[in-house]
Amino acid sequence: MATLKPGEISMGTTIMAVEFNGGVVVGADSRTTSGPYIVNRVTDKLTKVHDNIYCCRSGSAADTQAIADIVKYYLDLYCSQHGEAPTVKIAATLFQEICYQNRSQLLAGIIIGGWDKQEGGSVYNIPLGGSLHREPFSIGGSGSGYIYGYCDKVFRPDMSKEECIEFVKNSVSLAMTRDGSSGGVVRLAVITKDGVERSFISGDQLPEQYLG
Amino acid sequence: MQLQTEQLQSAAGFKFDNVKRNQLLADKGLKLSTAKKTGTTIVGLVFKDGVVLGADTRATSGPIVADKNCEKIHYLAPNMYCCGAGTAADTEFTTNMVSSQIALHSLDTGREARVVTAMTMLKQHLFRHQGYIGASLILGGYDVTGPHLFSIHPHGSTDKLPYLTDGSGSLAAMSMFESRWRPSMSREEAIELVKDAIEAGIFNDMGSGSNVDVCVITQGNVEYLRGYSRPNQRVEKEQSYTFARGTTEYYVPRAAPQPAEVASAMDTSA
Amino acid sequence: MKLRAELAIKCATHESQTESRNHSIMQYNGSAIVAMVGKNCVAIAADKRLGQQALTVDMDFEKVFRMTDRTFIGLSGLAADVKTVHDTLRMRVNLYKHREERVIEPKTMAHLVSHMLYERRFGPYYIEPIIAGLDKDNKPYICATDLIGCLSLPEDFVVTGTASDNLFGMCESLWEPELEPEDLFETISQALLNAVDRDAMSGWGAVVHIITPDGVITRDIKGRMD
Repeated sequence: MATLKPGEISMGTTIMAVEFNGGVVVGADSRTTSGPYIVNRVTDKLTKVHDNIYCCRSGSAADTQAIADIVKYYLDLYCSQHGEAPTVKIAATLFQEICYQNRSQLLAGIIIGGWDKQEGGSVYNIPLGGSLHREPFSIGGSGSGYIYGYCDKVFRPDMSKEECIEFVKNSVSLAMTRDGSSGGVVRLAVITKDGVERSFISGDQLPEQYLG
Repeated sequence: MQLQTEQLQSAAGFKFDNVKRNQLLADKGLKLSTAKKTGTTIVGLVFKDGVVLGADTRATSGPIVADKNCEKIHYLAPNMYCCGAGTAADTEFTTNMVSSQIALHSLDTGREARVVTAMTMLKQHLFRHQGYIGASLILGGYDVTGPHLFSIHPHGSTDKLPYLTDGSGSLAAMSMFESRWRPSMSREEAIELVKDAIEAGIFNDMGSGSNVDVCVITQGNVEYLRGYSRPNQRVEKEQSYTFARGTTEYYVPRAAPQPAEVASAMDTSA
Repeated sequence: MKLRAELAIKCATHESQTESRNHSIMQYNGSAIVAMVGKNCVAIAADKRLGQQALTVDMDFEKVFRMTDRTFIGLSGLAADVKTVHDTLRMRVNLYKHREERVIEPKTMAHLVSHMLYERRFGPYYIEPIIAGLDKDNKPYICATDLIGCLSLPEDFVVTGTASDNLFGMCESLWEPELEPEDLFETISQALLNAVDRDAMSGWGAVVHIITPDGVITRDIKGRMD
């Protein structure tokens, strides 16, 4: 399994994607680090790969950017050749293919969230080895370890859009407070049949937690 | 036997024919030496009308100052410049190569190249070499879509931010930006802040020193201010250390060696 | 040929005992080369020692080469690569003359060397060259590169070799602008002689070339032979 090379830029991250009735909400923190130094405190780890498909990147910044760029290219090509938008499943399979075939050289944990006509909102998770899992919600990155319990407790299928946004916002900010490698702002994207709404919550507007 | 000039020419790309020999020497216990690094301070910021890039001018090899006034802001295209930190040769050759690709690309398309195009070329080249090309870059430029500023790390990751610092003096420079940068700064304020950020690196980081180079890129205009600030000028020597002629003893003058070059171009007319 | 046989024997018998673990390839043979800019002239000087670590093998080893009438290159570092790079460069410079029907300029040669070295970025030649010459307008040109071809172009002096730290100090205090050829000879000679006296790996006599618009003056200077 690949590890971070010396001096490599990492995204010790908190990322998540959640299905709700009508779409998905994807969220992430914004911290990128090189060792102890924060290279970028307002990173956008939610990367658009097609009109209604986003990926949340964790692991090596270089690896995940390269993968996202390749997938973006293939999805554009697919769209031109088939005359219709690719499904989230197609995007996720492409990601999985690249992640699995190059698993010895890559350090990439990717969550894909999006909306398509066939399935509505759907979430796929590709952890380090390059396997692919469809899940009603996924969390990832170094910060996710701190919030498994919280997410399992609070998540309900068929949440409303507003409930879902609150859930993502709370989960990511909880992880950010406990995980030193996550922090900054919370970035969100709500993907529905009507398109994508991007938003962010700045560091001083985050929901308050017990700070001991 | 006819000499094929193609055989004398180098093929494109890197050569690895010394690698085994060098590894053998290393296995014998001889330490492989390292290339010149630029323990650098480089910065860039976006202001109201464009971007400003800045760099110090010290090049080091180990603890020795190898060059007191080197150029770290590299030309990429008429509307783009690129600051380099890390292995000096890598920043030089990577930017040169992308610069020529950009020149061909804009000749091909008949348009001025975009900053994202250069950024993509740089990141793909660095990613292909998996971090072994030690170039840490700050790319700034102005194109049809406005001003852009990117940082590109050796492994091929990129960031797009309104203000950036890199190199060993990046922490000192970033402290200036974090306290004084604000959106839509004027040209004068921007240059002043860049100068102060580089000087923070020059005075607080051992790897950075000498002068401040500044490059201001606006719509259709570039101003390259080499030695914008020179806070470390050497004072005039008060006395001369020249030796009297005849100080150095030498053997009877000998003839200078002759270059073993070809006498003249080959006559191919006959 | 004789030298090569000798080297091979020395390698076989002494290597395992004398090799120190921390020694760098760059210091294996020892060298000191310096080039300086003067008034309408440049000078390049080098020591003559070839060693194998502490053992001196040759006292008249050539490491500065006259590539064209008025462009010289000094190659410090691993002697094997000094020879290889000099031979390759000789070929490239001759080829240039055939193709272009003109003599290569010092600046062009510097970039040629730089690219030759960077081509082997991941398996380098262990040499650090310096180039000194006069261009077609009689303008002095000096430059140095590291082992993978990064050019540095100062306007005063360049140094390389195991005595480079010492040479930096000497040149930093002795060099001054606009020296006439004869004064430049004294300055560069004293800088080199005093630098190699405090470097165990270089010395054993030295050679100085002063390149002027009227021709090249070459002098073998007397130095300590220890």
